[in-house]
Amino acid sequence: MPSAGKTKRGKSSRKKSRKKSELDSALDQVGGESTAAAMKEFQDLLAQAKGDTTKLVRQNAEELERRLILLKKRKIKKKDFDFLLENQKRAMKVFIDSQPAQAQERAEKLTLHVLEIAATKVVPVLIAMI
Amino acid sequence: MNSNATRNFIVRNSFLWAAALLIASCATIYQPGSDATIEKLRNFHLAFIKEFAVPKKRFNAAAFDAKVNEGNAMFQQAIANEKFTARRPVLVDLKAQFDADAAHLQSSRGKVTPALASEMEKDVNKIYDHALGR
Repeated sequence: MPSAGKTKRGKSSRKKSRKKSELDSALDQVGGESTAAAMKEFQDLLAQAKGDTTKLVRQNAEELERRLILLKKRKIKKKDFDFLLENQKRAMKVFIDSQPAQAQERAEKLTLHVLEIAATKVVPVLIAMI
Repeated sequence: MNSNATRNFIVRNSFLWAAALLIASCATIYQPGSDATIEKLRNFHLAFIKEFAVPKKRFNAAAFDAKVNEGNAMFQQAIANEKFTARRPVLVDLKAQFDADAAHLQSSRGKVTPALASEMEKDVNKIYDHALGR
């Protein structure tokens, strides 16, 4: 049936457009409406940052994801994660200050804002999962 | 009047060109030396991490303090001697990273996981690459 074929192609193209990461799989398990909404906001922003054209924005997002996974797997402690997050914030502040004024707001949203949500909303959820 | 205005225009433009050339020359003359200083600081910083961010290694407070003092002196000297003035804030940022690493290692007292040691090394290399504009 042609319609079934169409549905199949549609599903596979959606899969290709956003492959689920290890972190996504963990955050998708979160229950509770407001927490799930916060996780969704974080996942969307992180995906946007990972696909950004600026290398430093992508690099920052990939580092954050890797470190959240290390925290979840207990390969680093919470205080180590906080220390590494502060390193990322320091580096990103220097980067944002070097950007033209009109690009600063977007850069801040995809770097410092993502780091802030990770620290305040995602980390407590991941720690509760351990 | 017109010839005066033309002369002033030429003099002013020549002065601006000379100033721009002088600034560019300073960057050309001083940057290689400045890059070498940053690479030297990177090597010291990485060696510091490799010596004190070692899983299961006993924390030697005396050796740690001596190395931190040596690092502080190196960074302060590099900042004071930097002739390429645009690089001074960059060196201050690098020192802030060294201070943060030292403070974290001291508070951990050697209790470092392999993953943390690896992430610390990555951060050090990243900040020095940024400092060198790479």
